[in-house]
Order: sequence, then structure tokens, then C-alpha cells
Amino acid sequence: MAKVLVLAGYGLNCEEETLHAFEYVGISGKIIHINDLIASPTELDSAQILAIPGGFSYGDDTGAGNAYAQKIKLALQDSLKKFMERDTLTIGICNGCQILANLGLVPAFDSAYGDRKVAVTYNSSARYQCRWIDLKVQSNSPWLQGLENMHIPVAHGEGRFMMDDDTAALLDKNGQIAATYVKPDGTPANEEFPFNPNGSARDIAAITDQSGKVLAIMPHPERGMFTWQRDDYMQIKDVAARTGSKVEEPADGLKIFQNAARYFNGALKKSA
Amino acid sequence: MTAHRIEVLAHQDDGRAKSLEKIISGLGKSARVRIVDVYTSENEMASSDAFISSLTNPVTEKSGDLPKDFDWALEIGYLPGVTDNVGHTTSELLELIGANDDTACFSSKLFLIAGDLNKDDVEKIATEIHNKLIQRASIKSKAEFISENGMDVIVPHVTLSNTGGAVADKLELTDLDDVALMELSQKGIMGRGPLGLPLVYMKAIQEQYQGKTITDIELETLAQTWSEHCKHTIFASPIDEVADGLYKGYIKRATKEIRAARGEDDFCVSVFSDNAGGIIFDENWLITDKVETHNSPSALDPFGGAITGIVGVNRDCVGFGQGAKPIINRYGFCLADPRTSPEYYRDSKCTNPILPPATIMKGVVEGVEAGGNQSGIPTPQGFVNFDDRFVGKPLVFVGTIGLIPRQINGKPGHIKKANPGDKIVVAGGRVGRDGIHGATFSSVALDEGSPATAVQIGDPITQKKMSDAIIKEIRDLGLYSAITDNGAGGLASSVGEMAEQSGGFHLELEKVPLKYPGMAPWEIWISESQERMTMAVPPENVEEIIALFAKRGVEATDIGTYTDSGQAQISYNGEMIMDMEMDFLHDGNPETPLATTFTRGGEAEPTDIAPADHGETLLEMMGRLNIASKEFITTQYDHNVQGTACMGPLQGKGRIYAESSVTKPVFSSPKGVVLSQGLFPRYSDIDTYHMAAAGVDLAVRNAVAAGCPIDHLALLDNFCWCSSDEPERLGQLKRAVEAIYKLSVKYQAPFISGKDSMFNDFKGFDTNGNAVKISAPPTLLASSIGVIPDVERAIDLAPKAVGDIVFLLGETKDELGASEYYDHLGRTGNNVPETDGHQNLRLYKLYSRASRDRLIASAYALNHGGLAAALAKKAIAGGFGLDISLDKLGLASTQALYSESTGRILVTISPQNKEKFMKNFKGFENIHEIGYVSHPKTLNINNALNIEIEKLEEAYKAPLKNY
Repeated sequence: MAKVLVLAGYGLNCEEETLHAFEYVGISGKIIHINDLIASPTELDSAQILAIPGGFSYGDDTGAGNAYAQKIKLALQDSLKKFMERDTLTIGICNGCQILANLGLVPAFDSAYGDRKVAVTYNSSARYQCRWIDLKVQSNSPWLQGLENMHIPVAHGEGRFMMDDDTAALLDKNGQIAATYVKPDGTPANEEFPFNPNGSARDIAAITDQSGKVLAIMPHPERGMFTWQRDDYMQIKDVAARTGSKVEEPADGLKIFQNAARYFNGALKKSA
Repeated sequence: MTAHRIEVLAHQDDGRAKSLEKIISGLGKSARVRIVDVYTSENEMASSDAFISSLTNPVTEKSGDLPKDFDWALEIGYLPGVTDNVGHTTSELLELIGANDDTACFSSKLFLIAGDLNKDDVEKIATEIHNKLIQRASIKSKAEFISENGMDVIVPHVTLSNTGGAVADKLELTDLDDVALMELSQKGIMGRGPLGLPLVYMKAIQEQYQGKTITDIELETLAQTWSEHCKHTIFASPIDEVADGLYKGYIKRATKEIRAARGEDDFCVSVFSDNAGGIIFDENWLITDKVETHNSPSALDPFGGAITGIVGVNRDCVGFGQGAKPIINRYGFCLADPRTSPEYYRDSKCTNPILPPATIMKGVVEGVEAGGNQSGIPTPQGFVNFDDRFVGKPLVFVGTIGLIPRQINGKPGHIKKANPGDKIVVAGGRVGRDGIHGATFSSVALDEGSPATAVQIGDPITQKKMSDAIIKEIRDLGLYSAITDNGAGGLASSVGEMAEQSGGFHLELEKVPLKYPGMAPWEIWISESQERMTMAVPPENVEEIIALFAKRGVEATDIGTYTDSGQAQISYNGEMIMDMEMDFLHDGNPETPLATTFTRGGEAEPTDIAPADHGETLLEMMGRLNIASKEFITTQYDHNVQGTACMGPLQGKGRIYAESSVTKPVFSSPKGVVLSQGLFPRYSDIDTYHMAAAGVDLAVRNAVAAGCPIDHLALLDNFCWCSSDEPERLGQLKRAVEAIYKLSVKYQAPFISGKDSMFNDFKGFDTNGNAVKISAPPTLLASSIGVIPDVERAIDLAPKAVGDIVFLLGETKDELGASEYYDHLGRTGNNVPETDGHQNLRLYKLYSRASRDRLIASAYALNHGGLAAALAKKAIAGGFGLDISLDKLGLASTQALYSESTGRILVTISPQNKEKFMKNFKGFENIHEIGYVSHPKTLNINNALNIEIEKLEEAYKAPLKNY
């Protein structure tokens, strides 16, 4: 069975619910403080999945995810490289997404891991935004198999993807734009607030590396993995009560973690 | 040392630049802004490429030469000693890339402004975006900028002159007369800031030290420990015939009686004895709750006051029992209208103005945002109440709910005790001059002399590292025997209180880690520097616990020993500078009996109150700040971190700013925590008894309406009073406390924790230099916390389907006194809503059964604005129409629509449930079928009004939309 390491420390704060998401779909694992991983980097060798959860590492000071990324880069670069060379999956959610971008683990064109090509910076409103949004998913990433749309929340002050035009074009061409913000009716948000909550270029909400095994996603699948977490749960359960049906627990966000499980059960190998 | 200055230019389209451009256009000017993040340090590594590139994002930022296409350069930095969190992180980056000394980094922000502006304009901009108490602003024209090679390099070192000289100053009190004693109390030792002690206390100290000298640190310690803020003397003192005082005689007694009456079903576990109150969640877990106020600091520095408040109350949670995990934050703000800018000053020369209401609102909202979001604690629950009497002293409420195992290492999780021989270990942030006299200062009214050192800024990340280390790792290793937080009073309070368990302490003050050298011992001892917890650690565990903290980047230090000597002892480099009997320290303050008077307020009930046009009036009412949407706060607050949010702060398609929330804190349990609150400050204009009763009733009713069973619900009380040295104000207080005692016992909803802030008065001057005193209306905030057995039973306020039936539960009386409607008319009236606890309880019990049986589709507890506001909010929430008739209520339309009678819940139910619903409420007379959910998107109230829901939504959302 696959094993996940969920990073913690210095202000990351979504490690517990993120680990719960993996455990719920049958992936075992543990939360590991960055200082402990630096002390024993070989922990990575026995893991198949690395998850950098959401949070506020170093209070977003000097740019969200920057200081934590510097810490990883200076202490773990080689062990991380070894980890990526194996058949592994990596996910960065929210602050984790910002950290992956600052580490240059995405977009990593031609496997140039470490190249900073994409910034995830201040929302154009310069305001923290916590709200439910809709995503259109288009990707061959093992993380996103069988997903077309997702209704999950964002919660960030710096979720705006920025990059030069060449990078944007290349991301597009390579199919590395994994998810974009859309209106509830499925049409593009076209950078219109609140559908695109941060002014992200091309409505980008998530990108991957070229292999698709590294997913950097600003919205929070682990906060939208159960129906009772949804903003429309009261409506959903009322309809269920009236029709005498049962409220199913799994919701959109869970599929990402189920995909990781299926990947290591072999089910997704071909497509990856 | 040479200082290095690194300037990092953000891209053209930076969101922060845009928001400053918005502020500038708000001042009637137009300009383009570029943002430059500035880092200054004397560390030689600071000039290295490695460091500079670690601060520069190659995609969006440039370091090095700045563009010259600007007219003005405005830089904002911190004053010496003010918490600089960005600077702190930057210092850690320096360490990461190998700096070998710990020379600090400092941050500042440079704004390059292009536009047709003169220096006055730029100074106006500066005042808009910085606070003189904590920040410096430097302005240069482009010409100056160029000729002087850019901005000046400023390193905000703290330089203190307390090194050498007397370790502690000694005073002789024996010969001081009353005048001299009071001057000492007001001005402090050598004018160091108020001790804030009344004459009787000063005399008691004088007597104790008859013929002896007292050291400054001893006197400061007594001032801390005996302060209203820490001792709550007003609630503790005998008052009129109540010998036990208001706290023991009413509030604590209510809980005692309820617990006795409940017997087996008592769900209280730890009440009034710890940093928070604790009740049973399920067989494995307790939940804790604590609500604090941080009013005085927030008036001076709204951001700093609010962030310090929220991270402070988080520590109350971490300091509960063996340590509880913070799982939910609460907030509440009582403010003046942000669209007004009344002019008042702290000094008679009108040079020191109070902050404008909009600045205070922005600051306190952002303070809770920064503190809550960065700590990873969801903040779904809160309120804002507006009244112009909050202009000089806003009320800032912050609360934290915690989760803790009932058993930790086979011992009850809520029990702790410092034993003689245990070492005093303090972990977290270092000590600076921050918040000196915070406790004594918050116990007096705000005036000219209010000390700026009372202002602090919390550091959420330092605290997050510390609290994670405690809650997620160290707690369960059983390495400490007790833990508490450092809040008001700093070490003087935390060590002093824990030492009561062991019977004494000996603190070696020179061991306390400091932010900068040169602090006097008494300053170290009472400093309120944040992000510190104090523990009692058995000697054999000290090394291990300090090492564990170090692994998490947290500094922990052994600073002394808990003893059973009966003495409170402090030495500094071997010299004993405090040696005081514990008994005198904690019980030496003489009883001060209080006498009260009471006069009911209000005026004759007005008659000419029916509006010309009910439709127009409802639109105006929906736009009143106490009714209008505060969504702009909600979306800034992370309310679903931890993945536990279930019923949120915005409800229905129409996103109504709701009164209650439901959180599911344990993934493996279907149970939920239901939170709400209630307050009606304006009712105090007529009678504080009914103000307090209405607050408690609404707190309970909101939770019950949301599906919380009435029999698993607890309360917290926060009294924010004014002029509490006046018999009339004390009379108002006594009546309020009587009211909540009666209602709490009636509802069997015990108080588990409380706090008071007794002097919310602003003493200042108007534009003519005439003295003015503005007192906040006497305010009780009642907060409720309950447990719902299954979150699937939770009920929000949004109607769910066309054809559903609308019921009004509870009796509507002619009670418009001090209501929103009367205030809208500029009246007060006399018929303030009176709470009938007996009738209400009948309803809440029946309703709890109906919600258990899932008979209710939506519910809203009527509050400010009465039935009219409730109907409008429901219509907006569901996006359906409502067709309503008031005929059955037997009142004129105006009374029926706007009366604020308590004990009422507006519900919609599915027709298929009607029979069961009626059966459930059989024998309850106050159940009124008043209409149904309709197709046309209008709110139709027979013989009164018919309005499109769109219009109502616009009126409801417009007022605060742009904040």
C-alpha cells in the first residue's frame, strides 16, 4: 500500500485534514515536521506520495511559500530530486502550491526541476478570499483522472498565478494548466471576480509539472471532500430528506485522493 | 556596523498597489503606485546575492535599481521595539543561508507614487496608511530622492538606559498622605505609567510596608495582581445586600444550582477555574470556550489590539487543563458608524485626535483576520453592532473554542497542578517592553495619559510554532504538571497564579530571554510580550522539554522554581528584589463594599410611529448597519480551515450573514459544535435588566433554532460596562446580573466562563477644547456553545422549496422600546422587550424535539429589526418569494413588523411535515401560520407591502459592500 508524507511546521496548518483525506481512501502515512525530515531525509525513500498542505508558512512574509521553499531548497534539494526520479506523486495545496511554485517543481518544463517560472502572488483585490468556487478540470495528471468539474473552496491572500507569455503558452500547449476557475454554469470566469477569486492569469487555479505527477493547486480539495463540508449541504440534505434518500458522504474533493490510491493500485499506471 | 538596505520592486499590477491607488482616489486624487518591499540589516550576510535572491521572486519582482517614473516616495516602517513579523522571518532567512550571528533584519514598505500631488496630499496618504504610535513615515520628493541617493537607511534599534544603576528602586510609603498616594497610583513610580489602584488599596499597601521600604517591582506586582483587570474587584466586592458580590452571588451560583439540579446529566467539567470553561462533547472529548475583550488597545492601534486579542485568547485555549487544541475562533465588534468622522481629541489643545470609525473598523477586522488565518483556526462565528457611543472606545470581543481529550496519559485532561520543586519554564517569544501596564491601563478610562507602550502586535507564527509543539507533541508526553498562558500582567500574573497551587515561587529574573538589553527588572516581570506559555516542569524533565521545543524552532527557558515557602520571591543576579507573602499578594486587597442606585431610562411611548410607506421603510431598515450584511468580513476570514466547517457564516443562495454556525470538529463523530451569541446594547437606554435578558435569550434561541438541543447548551458572559465607579452604573450592572442569573437557571443553561471590562469610557475634548466624556452603552455579550448529536440535524435560515409553510413561533407583543425601528425614527420609547423565560423555555423544548425529528426546513431567530427584517432575510437567503399575512398576530402592522419581542423563531416547513409539526406543538398557543414560500420573487405582506427580493437584497448588501 502507498505511503504518504504530509509536511508540517513553521505555520503550515492543514496537515491533519490532508492526512485524513489520504487515510480515508486507504493510503497510510504520517505528518512529518520539516525539521525532522531535514534531520532524516531518507524518510522520503520509503514514501510514494509527498503532500505539502495549506497554511501560512512563515506568515507569508517575503511572499507566500517563499521562506519555506528556501528552507527546503537549502536542506533537501537532493533528497527531493531522488524522490521525484522515482515513480512518486507530489501534491501542493494552497500554501503547498505556492511552495511548489517557489521551488520550481512546477511547471518544470523538460524536467527542469528547480526553475522558478511561475509566481503565485497577491490577489488582485489585495484581500484574503475564503469562498466556494467552481473549477473546470482538463488534465492527464494521475491526480485528476475522470475529473471534469469540482466545487471546492479557496482560502488565500496570494492565489494569483502570474507568468510571462511564453511560459503561459507552453503551459497551455503541454496541457499543464490542470484546472481553471469557471462560473457556476461552466463558462470561463474570464478573470471576473468572484468566480476567479484572485485575478489569476487565464483563470488558472492549478498547474502540474510536465509528467502530471506533481500537482500544484490553490483551492482546497480536502475541505470539499465530504458533502457535509459543502456550502450547499443544508440544501442537499433537505432534498434528501424530502425524497427519503441518503446523503452520500464523498464529495468532489475526495476524487483527487482516490486517484492517488488508484494510481498505486496500478489502475492508473497506463494513463500516467 | 554598516547597514545594508535591500529594495525589492513588485510588478506593475500588484494588488497592494491597486488598493493604495483606491485609497488615494478616496482622497479625491489619482495616482499610480509601485510597491517596494524593503529589508534593512547590519548583518554582513545581508549584502550577499544568496540573501537578496532569496527575497526576490524572479517572475514578478526586481531587486536593485528602482524606476524613476514617480513624483513622491513614501516609506512606512516600524518604530523601535514594535513587533516586526516580516523582519523576524527575514532574520530567519538570513540564518538559513548561513549567517552566524543573530543581527536582526527590519522590514519597511516603500511606495513610489506618480501623480499630480503636493506634499500635503502625500502626508494625508501617509496618515491613511500608518499609525504614529507604532510606525514611522518618511516622505521624499523625486528631487530629494535623487539628490540624496534614495531613502535614508534607518535601523530601528531599541536603546535603553537601564543597564547598571539600581537593580530595583526602593520606595518609602510610610509618610505619604492620601494625595501623594493617589498621585503615585495615577502617575506611577517616577511617572512610569499608572498603577491604577484606588486609595483603599494604596493605604493597605502603605500599612503592610509601614516602616519598611517597598521595591518598584513589589509595588508593580501588587498593581498587576490587584488590578480590576485581573482581580475583577467590582464583581467580587459586596454590593448592596449581596454579601457574596455579583460573581459568587449570581453568576457562579447559577451554574452551581444548575449542575446540582442536572445531577447525572451535568455536562460541565471545568467552569470558572481555568483559562476557559470546559464541557462534555462526547465520551472521548471536551470542548472549551473563552471570550475575551481587547477594547482599550484597539482604540489606540485597532490592528495591533485585535490581533493581540485573538492570539491571546488562543493561548487561553492552549492553557486550558493540560492544553486544548484551538478549533474555532469567535469575533465581535461594537463600533461607531464607519461612514461618519466625528472629531474628538485626547488633549485639550486638539493635537491628538481619536481614530476615525472607518480606520478602527478596518483595523480590528484585519487584526482578527491576520491572527486567525495565520494560526490555521477557522473563524466562522461573529457579529458587528453599531452605535455611535462606541466612537472613543470600541468593543473588540475575541473568543476561542478548544478540543481536548477527556483522558491524557490516564489522567483527566482538564486537571493540572504546579508542585513545589517544579521548575518554572517559559516557552515562546522573547520579552520586550511591549504592553507594559496593559493590565492596569485597561482598568482605567482612556484619556490623554494612555500609555503607548500598552500597544502590542501579536506574532501568530511564533505562537503557532509554540502551540503546535505543545498541543500536537509535548502535551501527550506528560512532561509538565501545569501550564498557563502569559496575557495581561505577563509573568507577574502567570507565575503568580500558578504559584498559588504550589504555595510560592522563586524566580531568577536575569534568566528571562529578552528582545533587547537594558530592561529594568520590573519591566521584564510585568511585560505583556505575547506568544509565551508558562509551564511547571518536574526538574527531571526540564532538559528534555527544552530540547523538544528547540526542535520546533521554539525557545524555552528555565527561569526559576515553584516552592511551598509561602513567599513570592524574585532575585536578579543573586540579589533578592521581591520577597512578599503570597497571602498578601493574592488576598491583601481590602474588601470595598459597593452601593448602587437605579433609575429606569426611556421616554413616554410615542404614538405617531406608523410609516407613510411600509415598503420604503423596510428598504431603509434593511440598510441599517445593525441589520445590513457584513459579508466583507466573512470572506476575509478563513472559516473552513481544519476541514470542519458544516454550517457556515453565510447562509442560502442569497448569502445572508448568519447568527450561528455548526462545526464538526471530530471526523469520526457525527456530532457538531453549535455557536452563537446575542447582545442588545441599546436596550440599556431603558433598562439593563431587559438588555441582559434579551442577550442571553437570543444567544440560546439562535443555537436552539440552528438545531442545538436546549439541554446541551452552555453560556459565556462578557460585561462591557462604563463608569463603574458610579452608583447608577453599578445599579444598572446589578440589575443585568440579576436578569442573567434568573434566565440561566430557568433555561438550565449554565455559565462556564466570563470576563468583564468595566471602564469603557472615552474622556477627551471636542473641537473647541471642551471636555467630553463618551461612555459606551452598558453591554452584555452572551455567547452560547452547544452540542448537536448529528450535524445532519442542523438547520439554516434559508427556505428550501416553494409551497413550504411559514410559521411564526412565540408571541409578538407591542415592544418597540429601544428597537432598531425606534432608533430609525430617532426615538427611544418605553416598551423595551421583556423576556418571559417560562414561555420561551416551553417553546425551546418543543422546538428541540421538532428539530431532532427533522420537521423544520429553515429557521431564523428574530432579533434586531423584528419580523420584517427576519422575513426579508429569509426571502433573500432562499431566493424565493414569501406570501405573508399578519392578521393572526393581533397587532397594528408597525408593531407586528418591527417589535423586537424575544423568544420568537420564524420557520418554514415542508407541507408533508405539517401534521407531525402541529402534533409536536400541540397545546402551545403561540404558533402562528402566517404564510407560505411563493413563486414570484417578491416579499408580499398583506395590507403592508410588496417588494422585489432584488431590491431588498440590494438594500441589505449595499451599505458595507465597499469596505
